[in-house]
Amino acid sequence: MNWLPALSPLQWAFLLAVPPAILSLYFLKLRRQPVEVPSTYLWSRTIEDLHVNSIWQKLRQSLLLFLQILVVTLAILACLRPGFRGTELIGDRFIFLIDNSASMSAKDMGRTRLSVAQERVLELIDQMKSSDVAMVISFSDVQRVEQSFTHSRSQLRQRVNRIQPTQRRTDLSDALRAASGLANPGRTSEVGTNDYQVADALPATLYIYSDGGFASVPDFSLGNLEPVYVSIGEKLPNNVGIVSFSTEQNAEKPTQMQAYARLENSGTGAVTVEVELTLDGEFLDAANVDLPARDEDVPGATGVQFELEHPGHAVLKLGIQEKDDLLLDNIAYSVVNNPRQANVLVVTPGNESLEYAFSTSEAKRIAYVKFEPPATLTTKEHLADAETGIFDLVIYDQCVPTVMPTANTMIIGNVPPIEGWSKGELSPAPVIIDTDPAHPLTQLVQMGDVKWNYNGFSITGPPGSSSLMDAEIGPFLVIGQRDGFEDVALGMDIIGKYTDGNVGPKTEWPIRRSFPVFMMNTLRYLGGARTSYSTESTQPGSSINIRSSLPVEQIRVTSPSGDVTTLDRESQNTFVYSKTNATGVYETKEGRGREVSQRFAVNLFSSRESDLRPREEIELGYEKIDGQSASEPARKELWKWLLIFALGVLIFEWYVYNRRVYL
Amino acid sequence: MPTSAPQTQLLSPQLLARLERLELVSRKVFRGRLKGERRSRRKGQSVEFADFRNYVQGDDLRFVDWNLYARLDKLFLKLFLEEEDLHFYTLIDTSASMTFGEPSKLQHAKQLAAALGFIGLCRADRVKIETLGTTRAKPGPTLRGRASLWRMLEYLEGIDEAHNVPLAQGVKDFCLRNSGQGILVLITDLMDKAGYESALRFLLARQMDVYVIQVLSQEELQPDVKGDLKLVDCEDQDVAEITVSRPLLTRYQKTLAAFIDGARDYCTRRGMIYLMTSTDTPVETLVLNYLRQRGLVR
Repeated sequence: MNWLPALSPLQWAFLLAVPPAILSLYFLKLRRQPVEVPSTYLWSRTIEDLHVNSIWQKLRQSLLLFLQILVVTLAILACLRPGFRGTELIGDRFIFLIDNSASMSAKDMGRTRLSVAQERVLELIDQMKSSDVAMVISFSDVQRVEQSFTHSRSQLRQRVNRIQPTQRRTDLSDALRAASGLANPGRTSEVGTNDYQVADALPATLYIYSDGGFASVPDFSLGNLEPVYVSIGEKLPNNVGIVSFSTEQNAEKPTQMQAYARLENSGTGAVTVEVELTLDGEFLDAANVDLPARDEDVPGATGVQFELEHPGHAVLKLGIQEKDDLLLDNIAYSVVNNPRQANVLVVTPGNESLEYAFSTSEAKRIAYVKFEPPATLTTKEHLADAETGIFDLVIYDQCVPTVMPTANTMIIGNVPPIEGWSKGELSPAPVIIDTDPAHPLTQLVQMGDVKWNYNGFSITGPPGSSSLMDAEIGPFLVIGQRDGFEDVALGMDIIGKYTDGNVGPKTEWPIRRSFPVFMMNTLRYLGGARTSYSTESTQPGSSINIRSSLPVEQIRVTSPSGDVTTLDRESQNTFVYSKTNATGVYETKEGRGREVSQRFAVNLFSSRESDLRPREEIELGYEKIDGQSASEPARKELWKWLLIFALGVLIFEWYVYNRRVYL
Repeated sequence: MPTSAPQTQLLSPQLLARLERLELVSRKVFRGRLKGERRSRRKGQSVEFADFRNYVQGDDLRFVDWNLYARLDKLFLKLFLEEEDLHFYTLIDTSASMTFGEPSKLQHAKQLAAALGFIGLCRADRVKIETLGTTRAKPGPTLRGRASLWRMLEYLEGIDEAHNVPLAQGVKDFCLRNSGQGILVLITDLMDKAGYESALRFLLARQMDVYVIQVLSQEELQPDVKGDLKLVDCEDQDVAEITVSRPLLTRYQKTLAAFIDGARDYCTRRGMIYLMTSTDTPVETLVLNYLRQRGLVR
């Protein structure tokens, strides 16, 4: 039991003066009206009777006084704001971190976990003294400072109430960094900047209201922060969620597709759920899935597979029919698009190595490759094609374009004839000393066994370019940006004229395994081929790169809720869409077209979010923080009950006064 | 019967007509003073045979039973019952408390005394009306015969209140003043702080046929009071401070009932007839119904 006096000393003085005032009023002699009666004989005997139990009689006589004193005492007690149990505010600076990730939408506590967390935080805010300051941060996989440090409780309440649930995953580190930046000196919420004394280094209490559905934050020091973790959620939630759903072409039967889904059960009992697969809203198939119970920390999981005819351009929806605590992960979408081949032009006087490399069945599947001699570069048709951008990639071998096409380019043995690019001096037999394994073009490309027998040159790219292969003479394979496209230049011909005029291979690269790998990487990356029938699913909050099929400047993306976003083209002919806040199917329309050109699905697909069991402890840095249960309110207030009781006593007092009732 | 103003106030002609047919009944046989219509203990001259006795010298020879002398050759004297008058006393409490009520208790007592007195006068009884404050120097009139009605009513009209004599003192004075035996009707409210027991004991000692008629006003039976009051006794200015509440009123009613029961019980145990009446009850109803049932009149 503790008290939070709600009045100022002056107000207290007034309030405490009330009971003595009532008492003194009772000490004043009652002015009685004199009435003459035949005899007081019977009255005296009646009063004598009443005075027999004198103590009780006095009590009865003073019933009104007692009731009035009781009412005032209850009011005073209510003003003292008694309460007990629950989380108490420690210190005078508070940071409230409120998790609004997808799992906080679970309704295992009768309402959403977020609303429970909000209520608990509001209760703590009510406990704040007027000198205390607090800030509110909501976090999912990104943090958002809802309210910076303020004394205003009403503002804090308003901001806490404003926090909306998201469908994102959880990542505490951002929010911790933001909170830490305000409590510790020399830290900032922004990565990579050295910011000293952004705020006074004052210790603060950090209240984390979450279900703990996030990875531990190992590289974090709390410093001046005193953490309190309030675990939100029932200990035994009931949830089955789809954590992955994808479609693949059946390898054995090309006309058929297979849909795979993985379901996880975070409940403690084995369950059987019915899953239903629909294609563009029409029922396709259903299955009963038996899910084992969770084993300690590992949710029970099982897979389910559906065979279906290739549907063409369609949206597959998989739904769990049973209702559980979290509905968000009961539906998953997968978008099946027709594969789109890259349109590649190879301008070469003749290069067997390239022809071989592009003649593999895989290369044929993902790209349509057309070979043209350098003479066509000057034809009107080619120029028109190059300008309209019908090619995804143009490879110039032993030649250089006069005008750069509206496409990605790769120039072998030369550099693009535009500003920024330059060649170094020729030097004999360069040796590759490093390749960038992270770049999609050079990943899995091992150049250690490749000899370059003739003269090569180093390449200097335009600002922003990067070297993918480094030789001892300098950058050897460079990629650079050009108006939304990318150009790649290689510092030596693969096949070229020898000094004696003969044409032959200048390197043994084509006979090494790395060559077809590099060429396939080129087709995939620079050609931008979409080979898979199904597009990858994106998780809420992630940005997605959309490649238009037509060379348009703008595309429009319609979200599941109907919001339309217009995107401008960025580099590599892609459009970056980042408003993937809600799960569902997003549609894109290109330029001014009315047809839906592409669709992509956003699914939760997070085992951590679907596992609703709240973590009892979290790890921050090297510290383990035990969770407090949120099933108890932060503080049980008694003042409302006291006031209700006082009101009841007041009504009784009124009744006693008017009806002259004595017990 | 002459009608005058006092008569209309105390007794209506209709009531008088009905009262004429009644007579007072005594449960005991008393000696009277004058020849009357009542059978007396005394042997005397009436037509009703009582007993024989031996003749002694000096007896009136008219009463010798000559037939018996002829048969037995002894002189016997025939005795006859004597008929005398009955003493009927009415004692009215005239204390200040009797002025309450609508009509006042005193007025009610006067009416009752007039009605009973009239019955007595009609039957040639000796009617005497006194008040508790009556002094030996100024006693009430002794009345006999219907002709005395006017005097009786005049006397009753002349009775005023404010003789705040204690009940016991008043009764004692009355007993000392009047030695005769007969019927006594005490009309009072019995509201004496010293208690009514000692007063009634004086009457018992006189071996009279006592009727106690307690007259209470509506203010005493159903007090209509509210709020915080200072009750002042009209007789001794005694003060009782009360805060009227339903339980208090309930308790008052209980006290009142206990008081009435106590008085009735006290009277009944001692051979007195007790009757409680309120000022609301018409005298006619009281005399013709209640007192008839109690046996005072028939």
